[in-house]
Amino acid sequence: MAPRKVLIVDDSKLLHRMFEMMLRQYPLVHAYDGQEALDRLAENGDVDLVLLDMNMPRMNGLELLKAMKADARFQRIPVVLVTTEGSDEQTQRGLEAGAAEYVKKPFRNEELLAVVQRLTASPAA
Amino acid sequence: MTVRVPQQMKQQPPRRADALAELQATLMRAGELLHSLEQSASRPPPTNMAELEDRLNDVVQDRDALSRRLAEYEQQTGRLMNLYVATYQLHATLDPGEVQSTIAEIAVNLLGAERFALLFWKGDGSECEIALAQGIENDETGYYRGGRYAGGDPPVDATLTDGVLRMGPFDGSAAVAVVPLTVQGAVVGALIILKLFEHKAMLRPEDRELLDLIAAHAASALFAARVYHQTDRKLKTLESLIQLVKRG
Repeated sequence: MAPRKVLIVDDSKLLHRMFEMMLRQYPLVHAYDGQEALDRLAENGDVDLVLLDMNMPRMNGLELLKAMKADARFQRIPVVLVTTEGSDEQTQRGLEAGAAEYVKKPFRNEELLAVVQRLTASPAA
Repeated sequence: MTVRVPQQMKQQPPRRADALAELQATLMRAGELLHSLEQSASRPPPTNMAELEDRLNDVVQDRDALSRRLAEYEQQTGRLMNLYVATYQLHATLDPGEVQSTIAEIAVNLLGAERFALLFWKGDGSECEIALAQGIENDETGYYRGGRYAGGDPPVDATLTDGVLRMGPFDGSAAVAVVPLTVQGAVVGALIILKLFEHKAMLRPEDRELLDLIAAHAASALFAARVYHQTDRKLKTLESLIQLVKRG
C-alpha cells in the first residue's frame, strides 16, 4: 500500500517542523491558513488525512472544515483538529462540523502519532 | 546494545545530557530484554507442563517489560524532538519578529501557555518593556500596562535581578513560571507564564527542559537577530549615501 499523504494546516512554522519530524514516513503537504489549504487540496487529489489548527488567519479551522464537508471532492477526507481550544463546547462544535478526532495542544507526540496511524490505517475514502 | 552519542550532543547542557543518558540506558535495557527473549526461544523444548508454564510466564514478563521500555523510549524521543525543533526554529532566522513569534509558539504550542509576557530591560536599565504578550489585555494585577512591566510581582522581580528560573505556584503572584533570558550571563529580560490552558493542569517535569532551553537560547537568538537587523539597516543607509555622493 502506498504511504498515505497528510495535509498539515497550521500557522505555526514550529508545528510544521515538528510534524515533519514526527511523520517522516508520510508524504506531507503544508498550508499555513484555511484558504491555502483549499488550494493544496485541489492540487493534491490524493490527500488521505488533514491535521488542522483552529486559529489561523484568512480562513480559520472551523471554516475550512465546513468548506471541506460541503465539497464532494474533500468531504470524505478525515480531519483531525489539533488545537489549543480545549473546552468541551469547542470540542463538540468541531466534532459536529465533521472532525474525526480532536487533539489538544500541547500534545504528547505518541498520542498524535497513534491517531494518525489509526486514521491512515482505515481503508482509503 | 550501544548507542553512539555524537560529540556535539555530549556538549549539551546537563538536563539534555541527562535525557540522552536516560535514553541510552533505556535502549540498553531494551536490548538486554530482547537478548533474553531470544535466549528463551533457543532453549531446548520443555519436558513437562509446569516448566512450560514457567517459561511462558517469563516470556510474558519480558514482553511486558519490553513494552514499558518502548513506551519510555518513545516519550524520551518525543521530548528530545521537541527540544531539537524548538532550538532549530529559534536559530532558523535573523528576523527579530520571527524569533519573537517562535518564542510565542513554543510558549503556546509546547508549554500550553494561555497568558504570557516577554519582557526586556530597556537600554538604560530603568524598566522592562513588554516585547510580546498574549492574554494580558485585561490584566487585573496592574503589573503589565502601557507596554511595560511596572514592577512589583515578587518572583518576576527576583528573576529579573538574579537570573534564576522559577516555577510556581508562588505566594502573592499569579505567575506559573518565570524564565530568565540571559546573554553571556547578563539578564536581559524574562518570559513570564501567567496562565496555562484549562486542559493543561500544571507544568510537567519535562516542561522544565523546554524552559531551560528558552532561558539559554531565546535571548541569544533574539539578540543576534536584533544586531543583524541594526547592522543591515546601517549598511543600507551607508549604501544609499554612497550612491547619492556618486551621483552628485
